[in-house]
Amino acid sequence: MTFDAIGISATGLTTHRKWLDALSDNIANVNTVTAMDDAAFQERFVLVETEQGNPGAHVAGVTFGDPEGIVTYDPNHPLANEEGYVRRPDIDLSEQMSSLILAQRGYQANAAVIDRAKTSYEAALQIGRS
Amino acid sequence: MLDSVTFNALNSALDGLAARQRAIANNIANINTPDYQATRIQFEDALARSIADGDGNITPTEHVSLEPTRLDGSNVNLDTETTSNIDTVLRQQFATQAISGQFSSIRAAIKF
Repeated sequence: MTFDAIGISATGLTTHRKWLDALSDNIANVNTVTAMDDAAFQERFVLVETEQGNPGAHVAGVTFGDPEGIVTYDPNHPLANEEGYVRRPDIDLSEQMSSLILAQRGYQANAAVIDRAKTSYEAALQIGRS
Repeated sequence: MLDSVTFNALNSALDGLAARQRAIANNIANINTPDYQATRIQFEDALARSIADGDGNITPTEHVSLEPTRLDGSNVNLDTETTSNIDTVLRQQFATQAISGQFSSIRAAIKF
């Protein structure tokens, strides 16, 4: 179809929003401590792919980080086992923050394309007027 | 009159510009997709040749951008995509105004 730039940019908005959601979940849980019997909080990664014959970016799925986490000695923690160990998530906060900026800027770039596509379509609506 | 070289050329130009808009939207949607290769639309040279031959009908061609890739394997350049996007919007407005001008000439001829 001729006028589908808005739809294509919408797929970009969706993938970037999902990325933002995953990043905020990771950051919210950056200090979540779990007992040694449970898995540590796992970092969430959003997989994005292009599809043949279907323009735009599409979320292919989600993968998770290391369930081992970082084993920390913290004997006073209520979740610590007999040896005094707990699990902390293996998440690099600075990496999350830089990805957050990338995701935000990507979202804004797609929103800007939608705005400009709108201008084109409004021009097309003027064909044959006056 | 409605299948003159001018009309054909303006139609082809609008088709090419719309295809370019789509390609830019696709490139920016995949700005952070690893290993994505940006696409480019070309039609101006072919259109100029076609107009010189007295036809004006062309189909735009698509090819992969040869820009160097980033560390994540993608080669989308937001600066060039954004400027090309704005450029395409303005060209589209030019073309629609030119087509409207053609239609008003026809309208004037009908009233004559």
